[in-house]
Amino acid sequence: MKSQKTQSAINTYLKETGGWVASQLEACTRCGICAEACHFYQALGNPEYAPIWKLEPLRRAYEQRFTVAGKLKLALGLEKRLADSDLEHWSKIVYEACTVCNKCAHVCPMGIQLGPLIHEVRAGMAAAGVVPADLAEATEKQKTIGSPLGVTDEMWRERIDWITDEWEAQIPVDKAGAESLVVFTSIELMKFPDNLAAIAKILNRAGENWTVSSTGREVVNFGYFEADEELTRLFMYRVFKAAEELGVKRIIISECGHAYDAFRWAAPNMMKVPKGVDIAHISEYIHHLWKTGRIKLKEGAFDGETITFHDSCKIQRRGGIIKQPRELLRVLAPKSFKEMTPNKEQSLCCGGGGGVISIKEADANRYAVFEMKIEQLQEVQAKAVCMVCSNCRLQFVDSVGHFNLPVKVHGLAELVSRALL
Amino acid sequence: MNWTNILNFSRGPLLHVAMIIFVAGLSYRLVRVLLLGWARDRAKNKGSKLWGVIVNYLKGLFVLPFIPWVRRTFRHNELTFIAGGLFHLSLFLVLVFGTAHILVWKSLWGFGWKGLPTPILAFFSAVGIISMIVLLINRLTHPVLKMLTKFPVWINWLVVFLPMITGFIMARHLWFRYEVIFSLHLISVSLLLIWIPFGRISHFLFYFFSKTIHGAQAGKRAVTP
Repeated sequence: MKSQKTQSAINTYLKETGGWVASQLEACTRCGICAEACHFYQALGNPEYAPIWKLEPLRRAYEQRFTVAGKLKLALGLEKRLADSDLEHWSKIVYEACTVCNKCAHVCPMGIQLGPLIHEVRAGMAAAGVVPADLAEATEKQKTIGSPLGVTDEMWRERIDWITDEWEAQIPVDKAGAESLVVFTSIELMKFPDNLAAIAKILNRAGENWTVSSTGREVVNFGYFEADEELTRLFMYRVFKAAEELGVKRIIISECGHAYDAFRWAAPNMMKVPKGVDIAHISEYIHHLWKTGRIKLKEGAFDGETITFHDSCKIQRRGGIIKQPRELLRVLAPKSFKEMTPNKEQSLCCGGGGGVISIKEADANRYAVFEMKIEQLQEVQAKAVCMVCSNCRLQFVDSVGHFNLPVKVHGLAELVSRALL
Repeated sequence: MNWTNILNFSRGPLLHVAMIIFVAGLSYRLVRVLLLGWARDRAKNKGSKLWGVIVNYLKGLFVLPFIPWVRRTFRHNELTFIAGGLFHLSLFLVLVFGTAHILVWKSLWGFGWKGLPTPILAFFSAVGIISMIVLLINRLTHPVLKMLTKFPVWINWLVVFLPMITGFIMARHLWFRYEVIFSLHLISVSLLLIWIPFGRISHFLFYFFSKTIHGAQAGKRAVTP
């Protein structure tokens, strides 16, 4: 049965279907190779987790509206129109068994951008309101309270003050005339305050003229996880508005992959962005500070136990910040830094990104994926692992606890701050 | 109606109509997709889009198809990669360097080139046919492929297989009279040409879209495609 909500999903699909979407949907040969790139398929073996299968709602909407073949299939009864039950079925697949990590695009013989296309499938789900309850709840909190974890303005201020005291790290708030606006995630604020303190210490040591904003205070974008276009814009608008008011030259995205993806690559194509304001990820900015001699690091500070680097999908594979964290790690641990395989563009996703970790029902999925990550860690006998995304870090910390592993989990900023000279 | 008439019909009106449907159908598909509109990408580039596109085509056309086992996805997809690769290679060699096919190209474009020796062509025709059978069995047994394969995909397989098998039999002078097998070959080729605009065999056209898009996306982000 097709209700109003299915119609809104279909409308979203048709609205989003430009030549970019259509040409790629047409290019698929049904070879199924993408399945073997998907960590959820690899870990759980469910054929429905094949990335191309995740595009079915979008493909059907497109073909049935725009192609002769699609119309023929409908007329001959070979295929049905999308129904509510389809949306509910695929909602679980695209939100709970996909981190939108886009590894599949790198293995597709045709080069189809499966990740961004799955994002479009999610957009239809969001328009129809068929989103896992936990994800919807966190999104609602970000909309009304300003943070998906429910951090209020007051809590935010208290927390910043506490971090300032506890770590003796000055954090300028709403400083007009600052050059850089640093925007953190609630995850860092509540769960990894050390990361926040570390970033503050590094920037202070470099003599950076920076600030945080009390109005543009959340960099995570749950609207982007859901693929709700309006909310995605709203959450970014809050930050852009703060940047404009403070007159900064750049926005530094803290350790959050999806946020970097949204601000760096999506924002200019979906909204008005302030002119002359650069977007940088904290890891590339720290690298820049080190490269230009504004901070000095103790070489070999973390030599000893084997440390490895986990590539985050949105910062490395889709963000291109691949060599910078490695260069820093080769200074921090020249003898102990070891690469996992596969890595860089071909890296294995943590399993918690794309909103998956916020969905309780997806826990079994992400733990299953993490078992593959454990194998990778064990292959290099890593005693510590470093990353530049706090969403990955949350997944690592939680899963390392779940599996009771003797592996330390670090943010790169935290290591850099401890090695500052 | 005897086989001579059928041959005249299939090498004449039928093939011509099929070619018209092929060209018109694919043009329609292409225009339809192009007309859906292309949004400009306003995000600032980190690396070079052109570099990404070039690397992507070099890797996709000249490197990876010949060493598929270096891909991590080779595992559990061995048959798809090897049989798929051999199928495309055989198809290319037989279509472009098959002596009989060169005559067709010559009649279309006015010039020809040297073909491959018959034993080599025979070998690759057989390899192509065996690959197709392997791909069919793979599609019938692989859990992901079973799920992905709907009715039209089976037609794809059939309309590609028929010209290959009839062409092979004709070139080896087996079992049938020349007019019979040549007619069957031409009818199956016509069927293929008519079907292509409706199904996913048209991927040879849209390949250039998705491959360019992936290269540009990777290049723009300064990652290796």
